[in-house]
Amino acid sequence: MPRYLDGPEVRFTINDGIFLDTEFFNGESYEALEPHRMFPVSGKDRYIALLDAEGKDVAIIRNMATLPEKERATVQSALDEYYMMPKIKRFIKMSDKFGIWMWTAETDRGIFTFEIRNHLTAVKPLYDGRVLIKDADDNRYEIPDVNKLDKKSKKMIMPSL
Amino acid sequence: MNVITNHPIPEKFRVLAETVMKGQTPLFALVGDLDLSGRYNDSVMFFTRDTIFAFDEKHREKYIAVKIEALREVHVKRMYGNALFKAVTVDNKRLNLLRFTYSAADIGDAAALYVNGVIEHGFNDDLVEMVHATYNKQRSFCPRCGRKLPNPEAECINCASKKNLFSKFTRYIVPQKWKLLLCVILSIITTIMSLVPPYITRIMVDDVIPSASQGVEIAMQRLISVLVTLICVYIVQYTVSALRGYILRYTGDQIVINLKKDIYAKAQYLPLSFYDKTSTGSVINRVNSDTGTIQNFVLRISQEAVVKFFLLIGLAVIMFSMDWKLTLFSFVPIPLVILTGKFFGTRIAPKYRRLWRKSSAISTLLADTIPGVRVVKAFTNEKETTDKFSRYCDDWMKEDRKAAVTANIFPNIMTFLVTCGSVIIYAVGGSQIITGSGDLTLGMLVSFVSYASMFYDPVNFFANLSDSYQNTLASAEKILDILDAEPEHDFGKGKVPERLQGRIEFRNVNFSFDRSKKVLSNINLVIEPGDIVGIVGTTGSGKSTLINLIMRYYDNYEGDILIDGINIKDIDMSYYRSQIGFVQQDPQMFRDTVFNNIAYGTPNAHVEQVMYAAEVANAHPFITKLPDAYDTMLGERGVGLSGGERQRVSIARAVMKNPNILIFDEATAAVDSETEHLIQAAIERLIRGRTTLMIAHRLSTLRKANKIIVVDKGEIIEFGPPEELLAKKGKYYKLVQIQSMSDKLISQKQAENFE
Repeated sequence: MPRYLDGPEVRFTINDGIFLDTEFFNGESYEALEPHRMFPVSGKDRYIALLDAEGKDVAIIRNMATLPEKERATVQSALDEYYMMPKIKRFIKMSDKFGIWMWTAETDRGIFTFEIRNHLTAVKPLYDGRVLIKDADDNRYEIPDVNKLDKKSKKMIMPSL
Repeated sequence: MNVITNHPIPEKFRVLAETVMKGQTPLFALVGDLDLSGRYNDSVMFFTRDTIFAFDEKHREKYIAVKIEALREVHVKRMYGNALFKAVTVDNKRLNLLRFTYSAADIGDAAALYVNGVIEHGFNDDLVEMVHATYNKQRSFCPRCGRKLPNPEAECINCASKKNLFSKFTRYIVPQKWKLLLCVILSIITTIMSLVPPYITRIMVDDVIPSASQGVEIAMQRLISVLVTLICVYIVQYTVSALRGYILRYTGDQIVINLKKDIYAKAQYLPLSFYDKTSTGSVINRVNSDTGTIQNFVLRISQEAVVKFFLLIGLAVIMFSMDWKLTLFSFVPIPLVILTGKFFGTRIAPKYRRLWRKSSAISTLLADTIPGVRVVKAFTNEKETTDKFSRYCDDWMKEDRKAAVTANIFPNIMTFLVTCGSVIIYAVGGSQIITGSGDLTLGMLVSFVSYASMFYDPVNFFANLSDSYQNTLASAEKILDILDAEPEHDFGKGKVPERLQGRIEFRNVNFSFDRSKKVLSNINLVIEPGDIVGIVGTTGSGKSTLINLIMRYYDNYEGDILIDGINIKDIDMSYYRSQIGFVQQDPQMFRDTVFNNIAYGTPNAHVEQVMYAAEVANAHPFITKLPDAYDTMLGERGVGLSGGERQRVSIARAVMKNPNILIFDEATAAVDSETEHLIQAAIERLIRGRTTLMIAHRLSTLRKANKIIVVDKGEIIEFGPPEELLAKKGKYYKLVQIQSMSDKLISQKQAENFE
């Protein structure tokens, strides 16, 4: 049975960007736990495991919303540092040169060009309009809502859905 | 600055780098694609003999220079979708030097290896060489298109295929060229025949019917002779057309069957990594339906297109010779027809592609759940599965409906435009006859309209060709995905040693399925011939992956695996695998007899050989009890045999090969203890004198092992004879303790119950 965290039970301090030094209010303390989303695709703010150096979970945050404001911000900053799944705002160019798809997109982290090797397996539409994309180097991207893309971007991505 | 790098050095750091490094030439550079805050940006790191220079806008002064001697270690921290090059200084300060996406992560690993090497042993040229080798491997791009190649010598499949997508398919067509040519000739005959009736109509209207004025008898005679000609023409036309249809269908079948055979054969040779990424359902779909689309298209191009082209020319000539003005009028709708066709093409293509995806999703679900029907039933998941299926079907229908709208509106618009052409001819020609201007006769007008309507058909065909071309392109893409995929290498090439002794050596082997997580790291071990090696470790520790690498299911690992001192990548693949007996945890049976299932992989096996193998595997006793004995037909995936029985059949299969290396992957994991004894006895009989690797959860099955490998998180943490490991009181000792404790508990409980 994992140890679940609900509400104010711990104090977190950022350690080296992605780690959390964790002090439980009952006096236990752990150094450099790595917060890990259990559902990085389907539920980003729920079930965040805190792993020790061995990869064993010390505790699981059941829901980020139950943490006090300050602790939530601390965990969030560690997660933001660790997880990188840029949100695609629009597609700028898709070229199909020599059978390689090079997609250029504007994301929340800037403009980037990536290679899609097989657009049948690289693009995964979900039912809620979200689209997940995995490039040839296994980097991941996300379109938060494909229906909200501008007309030009939509036209470019639609055949791959 | 000329330096080995994974990408061109970013312009914005070039000048700064040159001043900072004061003319030192770095050994190599690592170009990142993120800045330290995780936004896409330029960044770069230079490595010299003693210093690392990291350039990033987020560094104070835009760069940081670190002496390697001031560092304790460096490592690449792989996170989600990105990685950090981190350093720890001697006084325990942590530094983030560079950030990059997975695209540069492999290079980053090599760079870290270099720095750690310098920290540990001081600078030497071997380290630089190692880094350069990694860079060269990464830089095996196709010189034409820049595409990354699986290995430096590989031919770029994209450049080869994109030169002309359909040239790939010509080798299926060329063997049929004479039959196809015959069909073309026959088609030309039918086409010419089809041009005759309108001409006869003209004779009827203009000559025969008016000749009644010269006497009924003459007129009737003329009528009969014209009609007989007409009948003869029809007989020739339809006989030839039937013959042509037969040859064409037969030829088409040959083309598509050859294509299917090739795709299937190719699918068998594809590496497992292909199947990790592609669902089997979509492969089945490609073999079944996409080949049909190709067939249709090939026939359209090689037959109809040729015939329609001649028809078009022929009609144009006839029409112009009849009345050139009228002909020009009838051409009026043609530009519109073509434009509409083009527009239609661009609208329908994406729809077909989406449609393909949806139908492939349905086949995937089928391939998943129908064979897994036992699990579905066990979890009473019938409704969920049915719902999912109907949802997929509805999705497909929605897409198909959209496609149907486009696919039906446009052709009808075109037909309407064509009809407008006839109306124009009637208007112009009719008014000419009524007013008596020009020399057009009624018969000529009637036959002209017939010719004109025939004329639009090939025009329509060529305009519509883009539609079927697009549809075919989608299918061809799918098929080429298989036909062009890199197969497993080295079948029928490479060394064939006389006999494998069975000495297995791993040298610095690292492996990951994708770039996100290392599955095996730094594996070094030597297994001597005749060793019986137990591999233990928790689930997911990498035991099976170790075996997968020995089996060469995955080839893209770093480091070397050697058998008898030969790199396994240099050994002929089919010879190599034939030397290894592999008994899997869940043995796969085929829908065939027990005999054939045992003899699988050994063609022309002698009956007694098979029975001997069954005997060794302890399978013979239960097989003889079956009513049909060795002729017992197994259902799909071995329905009709129990798990233990299937396991023994699969051991018999391994015996048949008489391999020098044996691998058991949890062979007794899923059977009761009595069966386990039978299997265990079979295994012990089999392994004598052969190098044997056994993965086992139950340590009791490893009592014959003379060496134990303990795998943990992708690393070998212990390796040696079991007694030694027990004496060391490490992980193996702990595992034995835990298991013997639970065994003791069980026997205690049993003893209590018996009292």
